[in-house]
Amino acid sequence: MATLLRAALRPLRPPPGHRGPAADVLLRGARHGAGQLYPEHIPTSLLQKVLLAAGSAGMALYDPYRHDMVAVLGETTGLHALKVLRDQMKRDPEGAQILQERPRILLSTLDLDKLHSLPEGSLGQEYLRFLDVNRVSPDTRAPTRFVDDEELAYVIQRYREVHDMLHTLLGMPTNMLGEIVVKWFEAVQTGLPMCILGALFGPIRLHTQGLQVLVSELIPWAVQNGRRAPCVFNLYYERRWEQPLRALREELGITDPPMLVRALA
Amino acid sequence: MAAPRSCALWSYCGRRWSRLMRCCELPGLRSSWPGGPLGARQLSQEKQATETHFGFETVSEEEKGGKVYHVFESVAKKYDVMNDMMSLGIHRIWKDLLLWKMRPFPGTQLLDVAGGTGLAWVLGDAEELPFDDDKFDVYTIAFGIRNVTHIDQALQEAHRVLKPGGRFLCLEFSQVNNPLISRLYDLYSFQVIPVLGEVIAGDWKSYQYLVESIRQFPPQEEFKEMIEDAGFEKVTYESLTSGIVAIHSGFKL
Repeated sequence: MATLLRAALRPLRPPPGHRGPAADVLLRGARHGAGQLYPEHIPTSLLQKVLLAAGSAGMALYDPYRHDMVAVLGETTGLHALKVLRDQMKRDPEGAQILQERPRILLSTLDLDKLHSLPEGSLGQEYLRFLDVNRVSPDTRAPTRFVDDEELAYVIQRYREVHDMLHTLLGMPTNMLGEIVVKWFEAVQTGLPMCILGALFGPIRLHTQGLQVLVSELIPWAVQNGRRAPCVFNLYYERRWEQPLRALREELGITDPPMLVRALA
Repeated sequence: MAAPRSCALWSYCGRRWSRLMRCCELPGLRSSWPGGPLGARQLSQEKQATETHFGFETVSEEEKGGKVYHVFESVAKKYDVMNDMMSLGIHRIWKDLLLWKMRPFPGTQLLDVAGGTGLAWVLGDAEELPFDDDKFDVYTIAFGIRNVTHIDQALQEAHRVLKPGGRFLCLEFSQVNNPLISRLYDLYSFQVIPVLGEVIAGDWKSYQYLVESIRQFPPQEEFKEMIEDAGFEKVTYESLTSGIVAIHSGFKL
């Protein structure tokens, strides 16, 4: 019993050369800086991860505007799925490049002028239009904190930044309905528990009208496309801004959505 | 702490949390003080470049004030909710006990420092209070003194502003006396509280600081001696909830 408790309380990846924590450290957590694998990293024990996962799931359901809770849920439950995703990326030449170069989709890294100047219908233009119409910014993504592996921390960060690209690819707005559709697509593509939970429980907050069209048309479409398309995280989007969106959709086998889902005015 | 309705006359009690520097050196703010009736106070000039603790981190003394400020600025919005969640409402009982010990009556001149979400308020610095000597009957500080950079200075200031016969009362986290409860308390503090902070307030780090700062605060006997060093007499303490908190009391005679 005591050994089980000790295992649950130990931060999941002790730093190399670590002797083994004394009981005092077990109960109190690692000293400042000890076990930190990347700048924003907060090492957590298994118990803390379980509590965080449960708490963030509950809070995200209770208050859907707590996007930070969705992020925390993803980080605390996604270790296995992130490993699978990372391995998938490694096996693909474009994906491997992304893992190597670690590009970030941020306002500071995007050349907005260049994107504006691109032809109508290109990925870059459509992405900008999506940001504009939905009034979102790529910089609202919180940094990863609870993933105890530095490469996987990047993978989940990449997943978050690609999420907006998926909205553009699928033609879905950032309202509740649109988000759920994207979550179904992501759930099929990544197997991340957070996506699966979001896909299953998100609809609780929808009105019957939205629910009906979701279940009858949008979910089947999202699932079909999610299964048919190759791993969308293997795409180096930053190098494809000029590519016409239509062509990219064809390349991925993504069909037009069954109906137009409008963004909120 | 929040002011109870039962006490009639409260002067200079409480501090609006979100707008205040509680325990920081802020020379700039003093110049905006109206001065006048409460007397001018000279600012302390020297600041030592020594190190101190900020939770389990080591920081310079100069830095600490600012860092503490940011913590409390961050927790201000959800302060009362979080206190209830973390202590399961027990903090209200502790504060009630403090009031009970105090037995204030109409006419008591009370100063509550680091007052949190209290009522009428005055901005100041616990290490340099904007009041004249011998002003108050009672000085209270609940869950505040642990965050002050120079606790001894805060105690000296408390002594100064109290009238002869005045009473100092401090409610603060202390050392648990029972080994089993101590382990459970540590477990709860370090495993659960930062998680609560993250889920409810979206702020892990402030609550990590909170539980660490509790461990850095001197235990009951040592704090009693510090109070005596500041000139107080008849210093006593009472541990509550197995020593999770303690109420220290002293008199200026």
